[in-house]
Amino acid sequence: MLDSRLGIFGLLSDAGVVVLMVLSVLLSFSIISWAIIAFKFGYLRKSLRESKAFLDYFFEVNNVDKVFTESEKFRHGSLPRVFRSGYIEYRALGDKGDIRHARVRIARAVKREVNAENKRLSALVPFLATVGNTAPFIGLFGTVWGIMNSFHNIGLTQSASLAAVAPGISEALVATAAGLAAAIPAVIAYNAFTQQISVIERDLEEFSPEFVSAFINEP
Amino acid sequence: MKKGQYRLSGEKKFSYWLACAAAMHVIVFFLAILFQLWDAGRHAEPKIVTVTLVSLPGSGASREYADHEGGTEAVVTPSQPSPPPPAVKKLASQPVQAPVPVPEKVSVPPRQIAIEPLKPKPIEKKPDINQALLRLKQNVDKKMSQLPPPSTTNLSNALARLQQKVKSEGGATGTGSGRGQGSSSAGRNGVGRGSGGGGNDDSYKARIASIIQQNWSFSKQLLKNSYGMEVYVRINILTDGTIRQILYDRRAPSEYLNNSVKKALEKSSPLPALPKEEGSRDVWIGFVFTPEGIE
Repeated sequence: MLDSRLGIFGLLSDAGVVVLMVLSVLLSFSIISWAIIAFKFGYLRKSLRESKAFLDYFFEVNNVDKVFTESEKFRHGSLPRVFRSGYIEYRALGDKGDIRHARVRIARAVKREVNAENKRLSALVPFLATVGNTAPFIGLFGTVWGIMNSFHNIGLTQSASLAAVAPGISEALVATAAGLAAAIPAVIAYNAFTQQISVIERDLEEFSPEFVSAFINEP
Repeated sequence: MKKGQYRLSGEKKFSYWLACAAAMHVIVFFLAILFQLWDAGRHAEPKIVTVTLVSLPGSGASREYADHEGGTEAVVTPSQPSPPPPAVKKLASQPVQAPVPVPEKVSVPPRQIAIEPLKPKPIEKKPDINQALLRLKQNVDKKMSQLPPPSTTNLSNALARLQQKVKSEGGATGTGSGRGQGSSSAGRNGVGRGSGGGGNDDSYKARIASIIQQNWSFSKQLLKNSYGMEVYVRINILTDGTIRQILYDRRAPSEYLNNSVKKALEKSSPLPALPKEEGSRDVWIGFVFTPEGIE
């Protein structure tokens, strides 16, 4: 059953130390990638959904106090967070007569929050790109090493028969397969997340001045 | 404070998803193993099912025997040469149920009557064949003993004829009259033309004829009929007696006779050297081979 030479256990048990290390690295890469994928998928989906709902409410209501109160319901949205940071800065202003000074301070606070939100959105995503780029090469390294050992064994046994060559190459190719299995979902997720993050960033850049104007022009 | 709490909750969420991913990999690994086992089970060789074919005594020839014996009760079932494949599968899949109907049918008492006659049949056949062979051998021996040996009679006949020829020709040369006592065979050989030197030639012919006759192994009984069984052969003999060429002037319908003649001639070569009277030239001598002998 499990002692089958062609099974997974047979391949792993016959593999060399380097190949096993490569496989373990790729396994950890895959685990982390999938964790990031799951984490970011939920995070970005919530952010997009709450930002859209907040914008709808923001353009419906002209009172910033009411908007701020409503924004407390959208804790995971990027735009509500930026709005809250601007509102906090606006309320912190002691002298509201100096409009120019107030605008500068509120704009600065909003920009800082936008930057923070951009970092928060793109956090962990580059790891997916790293996995997508390096995992195939790491797997290829394991394959090359395995084939190297296989040819070395062929030289030792002085037999070039298929029975002597095929098992070693099969074991070595497992590393490439594992690298591809880790890289393919990472690349797909990276492309999807990058597209969603760019959408949110564009919204932040476009609506941040709107927030500042809303605070300044508040009656 | 809030940021710190938010970050903490975010880290917790990520660690949660990390654990989930690890668990997912473990599950995938075990699923791969299960798939491997399932695949191995799917391609595994099926269990060997031993099916014993039981020939029921009431079927086939035993039925006829039962009819001969007047025991119509011995007929168990109508003849069914081979059960259909699904029935075999059912027998293999339900081995307990399959044998149940068989004993019911076998338990019919006339079955023993059907089995018994099968044994004596081969026992009776063997003595019949042996007895027939013995009878044939005895008949052949009787006939062979009744008939005189063909080779000796043929040889004696040929020798007697040749002696008669020699005598008649010798008398002709001695008297110089040529009375014409030669027989029909003498005439066939062209003897009696008045040449004085024919005596030695015929004696040489008689010698080689006797030699060929001795080397000729032929049985008249092996021929279906003796009609037209004559082989006219001419042989070219060199001075040293070697047969250089054999020519068939006329072949017999039986190849057995033709071949036996050829073998006899080949076996007889080399013949005795030609007489000095013939000179240094080779001679052609003709023979007529019949089942009765050489003429």
